[in-house]
Amino acid sequence: MNIEFNEDQIDALKEFMNVSIGAATANLAELLDAFATMHIPEIDICNSHELMSRVKSTIDSDSMYYVTKQLFTGKFGGECMFIMSHNSAENLGKHLYNIRTPSEDDISDAVIELTNILSSTIISKLTQELDAQVQFFAPSSQFVDADSIINSDDLNHYSKIIIISTILEFEDQKINGSVYILTKDEAIESLKMLINKKIEEIYG
Amino acid sequence: MILLKCPDVLLDSLENGHMVIDDKFIVSYWNRWLAINTQITKEEIVGKSLEEFYPDLNYKVLHRKIRTALTLSTPTFYDANSSTKFISINRNKVTTSSLSLMQQQVTISPYLPHENKVMVSIYDISELYETKLSLRKEISKVNKLNDILEADQEIIDKNIMMMKTSLNADIIDISTFFCEFLGYKKEELIGKNVSIFKSGDLPDTTYKELWDTIKSKKAWSGEIKNKTASGGTKWVQSRVTPILDENGEIIEFSAVYYDITNAKLLAELYITDPLTKLYNRAHFDDTINSITKHQRKADINFVLAITDIDHFKSINDTYGHQVGDDALIAIANTLKNSLRENDLIARWGGEEFVIMLKNVSLDEAKMIIEKVRASVEETKINNSISVTASFGLTKYIIGEDTHKTFKRVDDALYEAKKSGRNRVVVK
Repeated sequence: MNIEFNEDQIDALKEFMNVSIGAATANLAELLDAFATMHIPEIDICNSHELMSRVKSTIDSDSMYYVTKQLFTGKFGGECMFIMSHNSAENLGKHLYNIRTPSEDDISDAVIELTNILSSTIISKLTQELDAQVQFFAPSSQFVDADSIINSDDLNHYSKIIIISTILEFEDQKINGSVYILTKDEAIESLKMLINKKIEEIYG
Repeated sequence: MILLKCPDVLLDSLENGHMVIDDKFIVSYWNRWLAINTQITKEEIVGKSLEEFYPDLNYKVLHRKIRTALTLSTPTFYDANSSTKFISINRNKVTTSSLSLMQQQVTISPYLPHENKVMVSIYDISELYETKLSLRKEISKVNKLNDILEADQEIIDKNIMMMKTSLNADIIDISTFFCEFLGYKKEELIGKNVSIFKSGDLPDTTYKELWDTIKSKKAWSGEIKNKTASGGTKWVQSRVTPILDENGEIIEFSAVYYDITNAKLLAELYITDPLTKLYNRAHFDDTINSITKHQRKADINFVLAITDIDHFKSINDTYGHQVGDDALIAIANTLKNSLRENDLIARWGGEEFVIMLKNVSLDEAKMIIEKVRASVEETKINNSISVTASFGLTKYIIGEDTHKTFKRVDDALYEAKKSGRNRVVVK
């Protein structure tokens, strides 16, 4: 299985992702009434056991986090993971529910809603660019410490994963979080084929 | 009344709740499952706002989710992990239910976007949620047990002397208490062979017996003298147990120890003559009585010798009692160094010593004691004073009263003294 990406493929993926992120930012502003900025996404193919260290390098290892994961399936399948600190999540709950002290359920639902919008927009836009269709599953959320964000046993089933990551910030509401789009082995190959097809269509 | 264009049959046959509402919450479809579970019929609710029937719902959130579904053309979800936020449906489960209301997963999917209509699907996930809750409860119990176990392990580590070794007796784990007892740090011992503790004071037969026992998959109990980090020694009562795998093969050894150093010292003091460090008369009596009482073949064949330092009174008178004591110590050491390890030597009283030579004939004993006598003659007290000793010798006759044996050996010693001293007389 050849899952390495050449420079053209990486460039194309980056371009599709930029379009997707742009769409996500616009949707967030419209649907959540909050102006978000999202960083240019980083694309990285690595061994599955490296994921934990990548994630941990961007967070405070002593804090607790809301981690929401949403699966999507189709020609391009994978998992969208959104990591948000307790403070940010609480601020999101306050903003979305328009209350001073949101309950844990309110916070969890708010994080799920945000993840839903993010993953739907980013993945839908990306797959739309690649002429593919995807199906989304209900997201699930957990409130965990930094070490429990990813269960290393779960990753043992995969050899390679592709990490597309970006940071989301709502400056006015003091909310930020990290978005990861994770896909593995066969799905990486499938993504590569979709990209190749698109490159051919564009450049002949 | 707004009617659906598609037939109701399909949605009515599903075992989930399905309704169609618009962004003003007006209900345009209500399937059979909902009618049964909410007791609100299709005729009652269709065409009316959901708000009339469920005023407590957070309609701001619902509106946002409807808008998201319509704008993104993808489903949006209510958090299935949290307590029910959508319509309340009672649960009728009688046995072991922790939920009185149905736990729902709610999906809001775009239905007719140009009419701002969405399909709200309600899935009963109560069983799954209950399993999750009970699993969480069990995990919490396991965590509590783990905490207790960890605390217990710490108590064991700090208070019990334990060690685990590989088949080759390399140390795999050792308790902090045992490390401290021997004066080592744990990291100095992990991976080392247990021979590091060998004091060299125990006969090889002890270690052989230990290994033979545990290698035959049995536990061994016994006393061991260990060497400490500072070069001292400590006695431990040990129990070494082989650990077997599921096939009954030994994989490791575990050992538990108990400090008996003080008890050993006390016992040693009880049977030792404080000046010469030889056994005392009481211990010799106990031993000879035990041997003659049990009449064991391995012990019963012995020769008894009694020796008395010649002219000891004049040494005391001439050089003082300190030199007299030095003479007693020097002779005791000479006897110890001249005889075999399994011969029993004791201070009999004053300047007299008694010896039990095991498993020898009288002739062999005489040769041995002659050599001992010569060694005493060569011994210099404080590098200058020479002494001699007289010896009486007799063989124990199996079955006789030991008083008779002692009488014979006393007579032999008396004769040795009388006939000029510094000699061995056999009776």
